[in-house]
Amino acid sequence: MTGTLVVIGHGMVGHRLVTDLRVKDRADAWRIVVLAEESRPAYDRTALSSYMAGKSAHDLTLVDHDFLRDPLVDLRLGTVAASVDRGSQTVTTTDGTDLGYDALVLATGSRPFVPPVPGHDAPGCFVYRTIDDLDAIRAAAVSGRPGVVIGGGLLGLEAANALRLLGMRPHVVEMASRLMPLQVDDGGGRVLAKLVGELGLRLHCGAAIRSVDTGTDGRVCGVTLADGSVLDTELVVFSAGIRPRDELAGPAGLGRAQRGGFLVDDQCRTSDERIWAVGECAAVNGRCYGLAAPGYRMAEIVVQQLLGFGGAALPLPDVSTKLKLLGVDVASFGDAHAMTAGVLEISYVDNTDSTYAKLVLSPDARVLLGGVLAGDASAYPVLRPLVGHELTAPPEQLLFGGAN
Amino acid sequence: MNYGTLIVGNGPAAHRLAGQLRHHGHQGAITVLGAEPRPAYNRALLTSVLACTLSADDLVLPRLPENVQVRLGITATRIDRVRRAVYTDDGTVYRYDQLVLATGARPNAPAITGLTSSDGGFSEGVRAIRTVSDCEDIPDGRTIVLGGGVLGVETALALRHRGQDVVLVHPGPYAMDDLLDESSGRLLLVHLENVGVKVFPGARAAEYAPGKLALDDGHVLDADTLLLCTGIRPNIELARAAGLAVRTGVLIDDHLRTSDPHIYAIGDCSEHRGAKPGHIAPAWEQAEQLARLLTGHNARYVGTRLVVRLRTSSIDVASFGSPGENTDRLATESVTLSDPARGRYARLILRDQRIVHAVLVGLPRAIASISQLVSRSLPVPSSRLALLLGTSADHWSNAELPDDAVICVCNNVTKKALTCAWRDGARELTNLVRTTRATTGCGSCQRAVERIYRSLSSTTETSGAT
Repeated sequence: MTGTLVVIGHGMVGHRLVTDLRVKDRADAWRIVVLAEESRPAYDRTALSSYMAGKSAHDLTLVDHDFLRDPLVDLRLGTVAASVDRGSQTVTTTDGTDLGYDALVLATGSRPFVPPVPGHDAPGCFVYRTIDDLDAIRAAAVSGRPGVVIGGGLLGLEAANALRLLGMRPHVVEMASRLMPLQVDDGGGRVLAKLVGELGLRLHCGAAIRSVDTGTDGRVCGVTLADGSVLDTELVVFSAGIRPRDELAGPAGLGRAQRGGFLVDDQCRTSDERIWAVGECAAVNGRCYGLAAPGYRMAEIVVQQLLGFGGAALPLPDVSTKLKLLGVDVASFGDAHAMTAGVLEISYVDNTDSTYAKLVLSPDARVLLGGVLAGDASAYPVLRPLVGHELTAPPEQLLFGGAN
Repeated sequence: MNYGTLIVGNGPAAHRLAGQLRHHGHQGAITVLGAEPRPAYNRALLTSVLACTLSADDLVLPRLPENVQVRLGITATRIDRVRRAVYTDDGTVYRYDQLVLATGARPNAPAITGLTSSDGGFSEGVRAIRTVSDCEDIPDGRTIVLGGGVLGVETALALRHRGQDVVLVHPGPYAMDDLLDESSGRLLLVHLENVGVKVFPGARAAEYAPGKLALDDGHVLDADTLLLCTGIRPNIELARAAGLAVRTGVLIDDHLRTSDPHIYAIGDCSEHRGAKPGHIAPAWEQAEQLARLLTGHNARYVGTRLVVRLRTSSIDVASFGSPGENTDRLATESVTLSDPARGRYARLILRDQRIVHAVLVGLPRAIASISQLVSRSLPVPSSRLALLLGTSADHWSNAELPDDAVICVCNNVTKKALTCAWRDGARELTNLVRTTRATTGCGSCQRAVERIYRSLSSTTETSGAT
């Protein structure tokens, strides 16, 4: 007896859910219909910058031949869900097709947040989320001209790198007083700013955008900041955060979290026992997570329930990140901002190598609770697994003890 | 060479010099002229007298050898450099072969309306903290300490320790702002408030009338006593009148010599390479180096690394070296410990593994260790955190990574999962990766997985051999 699972969204997490289910569903209990909005199947969105660096869309794909030939997987590209009718257990697509479901997983992801400043939708404004977005930026880029990225977070710096790879001279405008405010602290931000500044990025931290200015042709001709200064540019990329895509919730009578996202419990289930949400669109106990790893955990937990093994709750997601931005290592793990009461912090700055390392430790300095690395994140693989555990050596040895 | 050495002044620098001259074998006469009527005492401990943790007698320095002539209550009035003679207020004239000026300094009185009376002295209720007698008979009631440098902070804490109502007024953003960075300065500020010292940072005194002090930020404070801790002014009048080169202090070279080859100067009255006066450590070292020079030894004074340790029982604060001393651009390393929950903070600036600057609050053991490292110019131990916490590197056991540690976050693979996969037959790295999915996400755990793989391989081989 085969049930129908409809998965709305074929991003990294939606795809993980489908492949995980196909591996574990030995009895072929589920037939899966996957609705993919984009014209191409799931790809590695975290590797978008490598696409600008020369990799092809094919290099980034997460889908292999076996998946596409699997008779129990019906992947519908370029298909958007318009509504969910919980009474009749039906998903209706924008092209008018009705799809009945026994179980429904919402994996709609996020969309970039574009602040509603004047001119934000003028020709010459872009976002940085999909391969199509990157193709559009590439088509509009003019080598040697300045480009302005709104947002100095992780994605903003990736976007700035993309502009740099296209020969443009990127400016980065960040509201917070430092780059990557979510991941790093002031010390890490200083090292990061120094290193990316040396690569030619023009940074405007603690700066807000007042307007995107347009010429007589209606196209972008500059950006005005809140302090009145003007950046001359024909190209603006917004990467000022993301918002969960939860538009299906209201009409379907599903709950939304205060700050958006499908409200789900710690098993990723909505108030409807046949409907789950996973990935960036899921507000687990009210909170959304914009990283792949927590999304993968959610996918696995839902697969367990679909196969009747239910029960496991999502552990508190690990929001650790390590990345190389513009050739600069940055990592953040555990309680990076020392929010736990009573903790102590030790930080190390090396002016010669331009590196910064901070560890957050328990009051007795034995247990690692979190940390920030910038300039050199080679200690990340050693430190990240230790979060929540006693240090296995003096911190300096773990941080600087050598390559093994 | 039969008049010997004459020392004008009987403070700590003069006393140390006289003692060390004999120690290094000085043969000629040694005469010390002290203006205060009491024997030499350690001025750096005056605030302990204020706090009643030491008595005035405890400050008295050890007796000098019998053959050192100490004349108390005598003030030098004039130097005749041609005759090599010093005239005094009791009419006696002292001849010298070499003269050492150790005339010290006096409190600096800021320009505040009403601070001084018509006779040139301080107005009623105003006093400074410079001598033992200044510390006697401080009236009960509210005391305003003006100036939040080392002396001001020590004084405020000492009086508070005695139970007095104390207010500290300081123009900087926090007390001791010339020695501490912002984080340590804030901790000290919190401590002062916690023990009950009311602090007015960022404020200057504008006008004084007995009983009242008006600040430039508009506050008007009741004041039974106003204590000036607003710096010192070197006593250079004698030297200037004799035509010696002076600036803020009496100018001296690396041999502690003034512009007259027969006259030296040490301690608070001297000025060496523009260094600010008012610290005891340079005075001790100058006395020691001069004693060596005057006894025919090779010696040179090239300055003293500033070491300031707050003298109070309620909080440990220390500063080594001067902050921002050309350290920012050079090849340096900095280590910062921040433990706000326990009021602890440390910042070390290192170059070539040696401390060029350090600020510490609430870390008495680290302060003791770092004093040793700084004074002997030794490299710091490899575990900076152990040094700062006053423990050893053994504090962190060489434990194994626990089994439930998540190695691959993307795929939620624990160390235990890797071990199990290994036991189940995945004996090649590629098998281990395929079975567990470890490393197939972002890839950042590659090295960690390889390390566990190596460790599994080696332990299995070892156990196989036994």
